[in-house]
Amino acid sequence: MIKNYTVSAKNLRAAANACYSKSKHGLLAMFANDERQIHGKFAIYCLFDGRNPEEMLSVKALVDDQEAPEYPSLTPIIPAAAWFEREIHDLFGLTALENKDLRPLVLHENWPQGLYPMRKDFAVEAVVPEAHKDFPLAHAHGEGVFEVPVGPIHAGIIEPGHFRFSQAGETTFRLDAKLFFTHRGIEKIVEGQTIEQALFSAERICGACSVSHALSFCQTVESISKAIVPERANVIRVIVAELERLYNHIGDVGNLCAGLGFSVGTSHGARLKEHLMRLNDAVTGNRFLRGMIIPGGVRYDLSGGLIEEIYKTLKRTESDFREVVGLLEENDQFLDRVNTTGILPFQAAKELGVVGVAARASGVDYDLRRDKPYSGYAWITCNVPFYRSGDVAARLWVRVDETLESIRIVRQMLERIVLTQTDLAVEIPPLEPYKAGIGWSESARGGNIHWLMTGKDNTIYRYFVRSASYANWPALPVAVPGNIIPDFPLINKSFELCYACLDR
Amino acid sequence: MFLDNIMVLFVKALFLTVMAPLVAGLIKKCKAILQNRRGPGVFQLYFDIAKWLSKDSVISPTTSWIFKVAPFIYFACAVGAAGLSPLILFTGITVWPADLFMVLYLFVLSRFSLALASLDAGSAFGGMGGSREMYIAALVEPALLLTMLTVAFKAHSTNIMDMTVSVAGGAGGLSVIFAAAAFFIILLAETGRIPVDNPDTHLELTMVHEGMILEYSGRRLGLIVWASAIKQLVLIVIFSTLFLPWTPAIGGGASQIAWFVGKILLTAGGLALSETLANKMRLFKVPGFLAVAGLLALLAIVAGVD
Repeated sequence: MIKNYTVSAKNLRAAANACYSKSKHGLLAMFANDERQIHGKFAIYCLFDGRNPEEMLSVKALVDDQEAPEYPSLTPIIPAAAWFEREIHDLFGLTALENKDLRPLVLHENWPQGLYPMRKDFAVEAVVPEAHKDFPLAHAHGEGVFEVPVGPIHAGIIEPGHFRFSQAGETTFRLDAKLFFTHRGIEKIVEGQTIEQALFSAERICGACSVSHALSFCQTVESISKAIVPERANVIRVIVAELERLYNHIGDVGNLCAGLGFSVGTSHGARLKEHLMRLNDAVTGNRFLRGMIIPGGVRYDLSGGLIEEIYKTLKRTESDFREVVGLLEENDQFLDRVNTTGILPFQAAKELGVVGVAARASGVDYDLRRDKPYSGYAWITCNVPFYRSGDVAARLWVRVDETLESIRIVRQMLERIVLTQTDLAVEIPPLEPYKAGIGWSESARGGNIHWLMTGKDNTIYRYFVRSASYANWPALPVAVPGNIIPDFPLINKSFELCYACLDR
Repeated sequence: MFLDNIMVLFVKALFLTVMAPLVAGLIKKCKAILQNRRGPGVFQLYFDIAKWLSKDSVISPTTSWIFKVAPFIYFACAVGAAGLSPLILFTGITVWPADLFMVLYLFVLSRFSLALASLDAGSAFGGMGGSREMYIAALVEPALLLTMLTVAFKAHSTNIMDMTVSVAGGAGGLSVIFAAAAFFIILLAETGRIPVDNPDTHLELTMVHEGMILEYSGRRLGLIVWASAIKQLVLIVIFSTLFLPWTPAIGGGASQIAWFVGKILLTAGGLALSETLANKMRLFKVPGFLAVAGLLALLAIVAGVD
C-alpha cells in the first residue's frame, strides 16, 4: 500500500523529513519525472518505507521550471540523497539548493552542458555533439601525498570504473570513483514501450541479479493492475530468486579468496558456482535464470524431475560449501587478512542507506524478504543473519549464513510446491494511464527498488530503478580510507558492487 | 686450465638459461593440478618468450635510457648468476670467480636496475611495485646472506665450489634443517610467490614484481620474464645443492644426475604446494615472515658450531 503525499517544491524538505522519521530504513529512492505533458511541471519523488510491512511512503514535490528549476536539497538531513540529487541534476537539470556537491555523476566530460537526456523533449535518437568539460574528482594536497589513478580499463574481466586514490605511502586516505561509463539509458529507452517489451530490458539491467530485477519490475506492474499472482507462481518465484542468491553468494565467497590469493577457496567457489549455474540452466533454460518471471506469474513450471534435481544439487552444494567454509574458518592466515579490514561503521551504513549484505554486516538488521515480504516470502520465516563488526570478514560471514539460509528456504518451497494448483500466471489487464507503482525484491546484493508510471495505451511513461549497488557504491569511499592500497581489491570484492546496475 | 673454467662457466650459464622456462612451466603445471585446473602446457613459457622476443616494444615517451637498458642488465645478471651457480656435473674443476658474494650482488644489481626502471615511466603502479620490492629486498637480503653464511662457515670459504664440496662431505644435521627452512622462505620471497607476492594476480594494486614490469612490452618484457625464470632456477639449484645435501651431484654419474634432477623437481613441487596452501599476507606482515628466515639462519649457525 502506497501512501502518496503531494507538496510544492519549497515544502519538499519538511514533508520528506516527516516521512523519514516515520520510516524504518530511510530513503529508498529519489528521482525526478518530467510530467510537463500531464500537468505542466516536473515532479521529484522520494520513496520511503513505512514501519508496517505493507506500507510505502511516496512524497511528490512539484517543480515549475518556468519559475525556477530547483528544489530544496535533502542531503543536509538525509545523507543518502546525495547521489540521487547529483543524478537528477545531470539528467533533468533540476538543482538541489544547498547541496554543495553537485558535481557531475552520470554524465561525463564529453556530454554537452545544458542537455538533459531524461527530459521528454530530448529525443532518444538525437545525435549528441562531443564536449570537453571538466570532471572533477575528490583529491587531496600535501607533502608526500600522491594520487593513484586506476582504471577505467582493468586487467581482469571487470566492467569499467575509474578510481582515484589519494595516498600517503601505502595508506589510502581518500578515494573517489568515476562510474557510469557504459550507461545504457534503459530508463529512457523503455519510455513508450509496452510492458512486455520493457521486461526484456529490465531483466538485462544486470546479469547477476536478472531474477531480482525482473521480479521487481513485474511486481510494479502487478501492483498497478492489482493482479493476484497464483500461489504456484509465487513459490516458483521464490525458488528462482533463492537460486540466484545461492550462485551469487557462493561465487562471491570464492572470488573473495581470489582477492587474497587463496587458490583452494577460489577453485572450490568456481566449481560450486558452476554446478549451480548448470542447475539454473536446467530449471529455466538460462544460466542466469532469465525468462522465468513474467508479469502476472512465471513462464515455466517445475516438473517432478526438476524438483528432484534441485534437491540433489542442494544436498551436494550444502555439504561441499560447509567444508569450504570450514577451511576458511580455521585458516589463521586467511582470517588475518579479512578481520578488521575495510570497516564500514554502523552510523555510515545507516545514514547512507546502505542495503543488503553490506548493511547486515554493519549491524543494520534489514532484509526486504522479512521486513517487506513480497511474492511467497510472507509464508515462511526468514532468518536474517547480521553482524556488527562491518569488516570484510563480517560481509563474508553474512554471505555464508545467508547461503545456508537460502538452501533452507528453497527446501521449504519445494515441499510447498507439490501442494499448489497448477496455474502459472494470470492475465494482466490493460493498465490505466498515469498510474504509479512500486516493486521491490532482495537480490544477492540488496534491495532492488523499481518505480513505474504508465503512459497511454499500456505503455511506460517513466521507469526508475534504484539498484542495490546504487545504494552501496557511496559506502566504498567510507570503508576504504585508513586501509592500505593492496587491501582495496579485497574490500571491493567484499562489497561486490555492480557497475551494470548503475549503468541502467 | 683458465680456458676450461671459462668454458664450464659458459656451459652452465647456457644450460640453466635454456632449462629455466621449463622449470617455471613445471611449477605452473604442478600448481594447476593441485588447484583442480588443467593449466598451460609445461613448454608454454618458451612459446610466450619467443612471441615477445619477436615483437616490438611500446615505450612510454616519458622514459629515459634507464628504462630501455634495465631489461638487458637484468637479463645479464641472471645469466651471470647462472654461470656461477653450484651446478657441479663436472669433477675436478674449480671455477675461479664463483664467489658467494658475487652471486648475491648480481641479484642486488638486477633488482636495483629493475626498481630504477619501474620509477622511470612515472606511472603509479610502477612506483608502488618498485617501492614494495625495495622494502622487501631490505629484509630478504640480510636473511639470504646469513643463510648462505651457515654453509660458508663450515666450508671456511665463500667460494661456492668449496662450499658445495664441503656440504657434500658431511650431510645432514640440525644445522642443515634450519638452514633449509630459512632458505625456502627466502626462495618464496625472492621468486615473488605467495605469501609475499602473487605471480598470477591481475590486481594491479597488490602487485610487487608484476607491478614493476607493468610498463614493459615486446622483447624487453620477454627478456625480463626469461631472466626471472633463470633467477628462480639458480635459486632452486642453490637450494637443492647446498641445503638438500643428500647424495650430492658431484661428478657426472647417471645416478647423481638423477638425484640432482629429482631434487630440483622436489623443490619445484614444494613451491607449487606452498603456494596453493597459503594465501597472500598483508604487506606489513611480510617483515615478520622474513624475520623467521633470519632467525632460522641464526639458529643454523649456532647449531652448526661444533
